Amino acid sequence: MTLREISSTILLFVFYLTLQILIVRNLVLFDYGFCFLYVACILLLPNELSQTVVLLIAFATGVIVDTFYNTLGMHAAATVLMAYVRPLVVRVQMAQRIQEARVMFTLRELGFAEFFRYVIVLVFIHHSALFLIEAGSFNLLVPSLFRIGASALFTTLSIVMIQFFTRN
Amino acid sequence: MEQLFAFIAQSRNFILFVLLEVLCFYFIVNTNNYWSASFFNTSNRYAAQMLAWSNAAQEYTNLREVNADLASENKQLRQQLTRLQEGSPSAPAAYRADSTFANRFKFTVAKVINNTTTLANNYLTIDKGTADGIRPGMGVISPTGIVGSVKSCNEHFSVITSILHSRFTVSASLVKANEIGTVKWMGEDPTRMSLLEIPRYKPVAINDSVVISNRNRVFPAGILIGRVRTIGNQPNQPFHELTIDLSTNFGSLSFVYVVDNQLRAQQEQVEQQVDSER
Repeated sequence: MTLREISSTILLFVFYLTLQILIVRNLVLFDYGFCFLYVACILLLPNELSQTVVLLIAFATGVIVDTFYNTLGMHAAATVLMAYVRPLVVRVQMAQRIQEARVMFTLRELGFAEFFRYVIVLVFIHHSALFLIEAGSFNLLVPSLFRIGASALFTTLSIVMIQFFTRN
Repeated sequence: MEQLFAFIAQSRNFILFVLLEVLCFYFIVNTNNYWSASFFNTSNRYAAQMLAWSNAAQEYTNLREVNADLASENKQLRQQLTRLQEGSPSAPAAYRADSTFANRFKFTVAKVINNTTTLANNYLTIDKGTADGIRPGMGVISPTGIVGSVKSCNEHFSVITSILHSRFTVSASLVKANEIGTVKWMGEDPTRMSLLEIPRYKPVAINDSVVISNRNRVFPAGILIGRVRTIGNQPNQPFHELTIDLSTNFGSLSFVYVVDNQLRAQQEQVEQQVDSER
């Protein structure tokens, strides 16, 4: 990793977190579509970062977001889970690519289809964990499932859209 | 022992993952734990400061809506206040205002869309007309004081004669001196008016409030007009020469309340009978 990559990663991290806390937090579509853009902070971290570090970063991110949602633990739990699953998804989806060369998780490098697939799987895992923890039981399973689906789609589209505008 | 260390080193990520998740669920289950109650919530100083900044930026985007809401809330409060005041005036205990009389004032909120203050006869235009129940002759007040009376209306707009008009007079009373006079604009300064017909034998204090008296058919009594600014007396005159500072700032007028006295027609009719009998 060059210095430039490190600084741009940090900048993007702060950008997504600020966007989430200041703007997207107030954005809810039809009571079902929530946008948790901050997951991009973890999704776009470079692949060669050791997983221990990624887990700690995920925990910190989750706690920061939780602070603003007043739900200490929920976002952190979901984000840590997502960070733990990430290498598995990468290994399954991009087995060949990893062996050939170093992978950067950007739209430009992966192409639309592959990037979209990578993002939506992890976002779906994150949102499932988050909304099920939030519901606290399986009583509200159907509305929770709707929420998970709608929000996962919303978040993924937002992340992909923002990728069109940022050059990494 | 060595094997144990090797195992931990090998699966350190899994162990870290489990530890973090256990910590998270500890936080979630004990919602009132020390950490979540004292640091990691929006009352945290830095979080609160950040939210305050973002809120300050957002506030500008809906100021218009907030203004309109406040104006309509003010209208309701004013209506209640007038009802209470008219229901129990300072009067002998035997006097009881009946509820129709106490309830006779109805308010309508309107927005000022045109306004002059520099001419000799000034008028305002508001965005409510006959469709909203406005009729010529109704009084108009602002949140800070008197404004004028409705001169003419069409379906959606009305023209208001401002009190800054050479022929507009209002019966006013001095609160401390407890004396009734007439307020008139002399045509120079849109922030000053004159109070006429206060007899010399009554002492008048500077800064005494001038309010609308209860001897008029248009306005509820007690609406502020201004405060006494100067007392200049000519010898051989039976009345004080009083200048008052207007409480309404005509330059920044935006929302006004149109006052409808619903018993006005009845009052006028009965007074006219006396006139015609004479």
